[in-house]
Amino acid sequence: MATSPRNGRLALLLLTVALLVGAATASAQPAAVTACENCHRDQRDTRLATPAHDFAGSDVHRDRGFTCVDCHGGNPNEPDKVKAKAPATGFKGKPAGQQVIAVCSRCHSDGALMRKFAPKQRIDQAAEYATSVHGQRLAKGDTNVATCISCHGAHGVRLVTDAKAPVYVLNVATTCSRCHSDGERMKSYKLPDGSPLPTDQRAKYERSVHHAAMVKRNDLSAPTCNDCHGNHGAAPPGVGAIANVCGTCHTVFATKFALSTHSQIFDRSCVECHSNHEIAQPTDALLGTDKAALCVTCHSDGDNGLKAAAAMRGEIEKLKAAIGHSQELLAAAENAGMEMGDQQLALREAGNQLTLARTEMHAFDPKPVNDVLQAGLAITAKVDADGEEALHEVSYRRTGLAVSLGAILLVVIALRLKIRSLG
Amino acid sequence: MTRHVLAWLDERLDLSGVLAFLAEKSVPRHRHSVWYYMGGITLFLVGVQVATGVLLLLYYRPSAGEAYESVQFIVSQVEFGWLIRNIHSWSANLLILMAFVHLFSTLFLRSYRKPRELTWITGVLLLFVMMGFGFSGYLLPWNELAFFATKVGTGIAGAVPVVGDFMVRFLRGGDDVTGATLTRFYGIHVAILPAIMTVLLGVHLLLIQRQGMSLPLSVEKREKAGEKIPEDPFFPNYVLHDVMWWYVALAVLAALALFLPWELGKKADAFAAVPAGIRPEWYFLAMFQLLKLIPSHVFGLEGEMLGVVGFTVAAMLLVIVPFIDRRAADGRPSPIVLGAGIAGLVFLIVFTIYGYFAA
Amino acid sequence: MVKRRTFLDKLLGFGFVSTAVSVLYPVWRFVNPPVNAEPATDSIVAGKATEFAANSGAVVKFGSKPAILIRTPDGDFRAFTAVCTHLECTVQYKPDTSQIWCACHNGMYDLAGNVVSGPPPRPLEAFKVNLRGEPGQEDVVISRT
Repeated sequence: MATSPRNGRLALLLLTVALLVGAATASAQPAAVTACENCHRDQRDTRLATPAHDFAGSDVHRDRGFTCVDCHGGNPNEPDKVKAKAPATGFKGKPAGQQVIAVCSRCHSDGALMRKFAPKQRIDQAAEYATSVHGQRLAKGDTNVATCISCHGAHGVRLVTDAKAPVYVLNVATTCSRCHSDGERMKSYKLPDGSPLPTDQRAKYERSVHHAAMVKRNDLSAPTCNDCHGNHGAAPPGVGAIANVCGTCHTVFATKFALSTHSQIFDRSCVECHSNHEIAQPTDALLGTDKAALCVTCHSDGDNGLKAAAAMRGEIEKLKAAIGHSQELLAAAENAGMEMGDQQLALREAGNQLTLARTEMHAFDPKPVNDVLQAGLAITAKVDADGEEALHEVSYRRTGLAVSLGAILLVVIALRLKIRSLG
Repeated sequence: MTRHVLAWLDERLDLSGVLAFLAEKSVPRHRHSVWYYMGGITLFLVGVQVATGVLLLLYYRPSAGEAYESVQFIVSQVEFGWLIRNIHSWSANLLILMAFVHLFSTLFLRSYRKPRELTWITGVLLLFVMMGFGFSGYLLPWNELAFFATKVGTGIAGAVPVVGDFMVRFLRGGDDVTGATLTRFYGIHVAILPAIMTVLLGVHLLLIQRQGMSLPLSVEKREKAGEKIPEDPFFPNYVLHDVMWWYVALAVLAALALFLPWELGKKADAFAAVPAGIRPEWYFLAMFQLLKLIPSHVFGLEGEMLGVVGFTVAAMLLVIVPFIDRRAADGRPSPIVLGAGIAGLVFLIVFTIYGYFAA
Repeated sequence: MVKRRTFLDKLLGFGFVSTAVSVLYPVWRFVNPPVNAEPATDSIVAGKATEFAANSGAVVKFGSKPAILIRTPDGDFRAFTAVCTHLECTVQYKPDTSQIWCACHNGMYDLAGNVVSGPPPRPLEAFKVNLRGEPGQEDVVISRT
């Protein structure tokens, strides 16, 4: 059983074929290393070497048995550079522009194929992309725009759920702003009204309450770029749609706003007051008639809107003050030793009413706000009554103690007299 | 009825000697007699502390997770819990104040002279025990002020040379003030110190009964010159007088509970910032204030260590005063001890007040 | 002179007795256990098991915060904190969908306390529920651990 070189090479060929067949039958086995990688990995030019290194690292396609040739074409077993890339092999080279979409969607829009690997994954990304600003511009020949590989990478592609993926929820803003915050790259683009496309969205977003929720409170359900603009069909929502987009999470506010007068008047609905990227933590100060409030931007003295704003703000402040007063009263009673647990619980309910009042005001009508205010004030009134009663009990105890003190002093005097009478 | 009971007991315990002693016992009456009652008031307050302490024991829970809540429970849900707790807290302070009054009165009257050296020694040790009660008890409600005051106080023990670190770990039950400290302080407060106190108090009272009241030197001189010092019978005169002073103490306690009720404070949070102006209770304030004034290094030695060592030395000297002031036995004046006593009293008063206003 | 002493004695006697009573009465009341036997930090009795119908919920006081006790359609007891993890409004039980609902911003939780929809960022902290006592008259005990 002499192992001649020919036998060895035959064995290797058989093995390679077996492996390829195995890979092609989609048993989610990582693909074997190809001749492409073996050659490219050793190249000194990083443009040629890096893809091979990246693909050899962590890549979802490779892990499921796909190799270089599935996207690029060519002969994976041919070590000779020219022969491996002969036209007969179907070698495509580096796809660019619309080619990228074609290469990716060859598999990703194929329902039967995708069902074998990720049954629940969508297969309409390419169709969605065509509706996006990126897709429309690409169709017109602009190759500056993002394609699949701009966001997902080409080699070393990771799942969306992989924390290192550029499209992982925490990394989305960074990925989008790679282009959108690049002044040079974006300088030729304009908004519909002719003004230059801004490049400060990321900076603004990082100051927003959504970013804080995601990064500081680790709430990954908080929105990032794609939640409002879409993933593959990325585009600005459009003026008519803003309330709907915000309303996908902020349902109650959107409903109330939709029924209000402002929904007919505001061009940019929610954004008019809350901004789009730099959404700050809303405070009661936004509502009202003073300089810090937003209402005075449009409303002037004496008009109904400003009166409504004053009324609503006044009511919210009234409830806040009532709750504050009740809290102080309860604190005083508790510090004096009275048990005020039930009242503390009731006061929470008043706090709930305050939260509701801030929701109700999005209908821009003082009446529902007033209803909530009255409910809240009824609670604080009851709590105050209980608090006062507790403090009265404290006084009553003190009075009892004072009476005892009187009795004790009486005994002291009597004893003094007794001693004197003895001595 | 009582006669029958007494007779029954007498047959078995031979009480007649004790009863005769009590019936005949008399107490001298002179210009300084009023100081005789200070010890009695202190003893009464000890009784109040034991009684209210035992009552609080029925509901208090010595764990970091429940201590504050159990005190809150006592004060708000248990009937008259607010009263028992207030009395216990105020009586503790009044007790230590009266103990100091009793100490200084016996010091200036030089009652420690022969044959009453042991009475003095047990008394001074009792004062330290009472301050230990105060320090350990203060932590038990587990509120913010108590937590940080204990942290600072036990930290000072670390300044003692050689055994400082061990002392801190021993007191705290660990490196930091934690629930372990609370449990340990509880054990010290309700078991260890009461046991020590019982022994010391027992000896102290026994000696007083055996030896009777000491006469101030000026009065003793008159007695030696042949003058008859008037005496009051112990029962009923002295007893009634004692009871009257106890009632005065009770009145003061009721007034304090009435006008300055003790608050609950906020529950201790080990990770919260130390509140500004944290300081110990008034009976440690003078020492604390002095320690704050000592520069961090004196002649190359750590200032705090010098302070703590200084106080320890002063305490030891206080215990052995009867052996320092031998002249007292002969009735000769001792300006050194008198001067030190006045200096000590003035220091305590001035620095306690200073400590209050410094914050 | 004798009369005055007797009056003084009577006064003294009255004084002693009244001060003794004003000391002993509070002590007596103190040692009698109060209505709530212990501080309600870690566990409470929410009521009798028979008071809670299936597919219903009730908000009860647990320490200083509200807790929600739910009896599922199958009759099991569950308890969670009633403090919504969004903006701390008090949640309530919705029998028509058998979910826990927060009225403030429409947050929905399932019967395991997990967020189903709406703004709440975290699930509701769950408490333990035990039944204690004679069968048929059990107390529902909610405890933290």
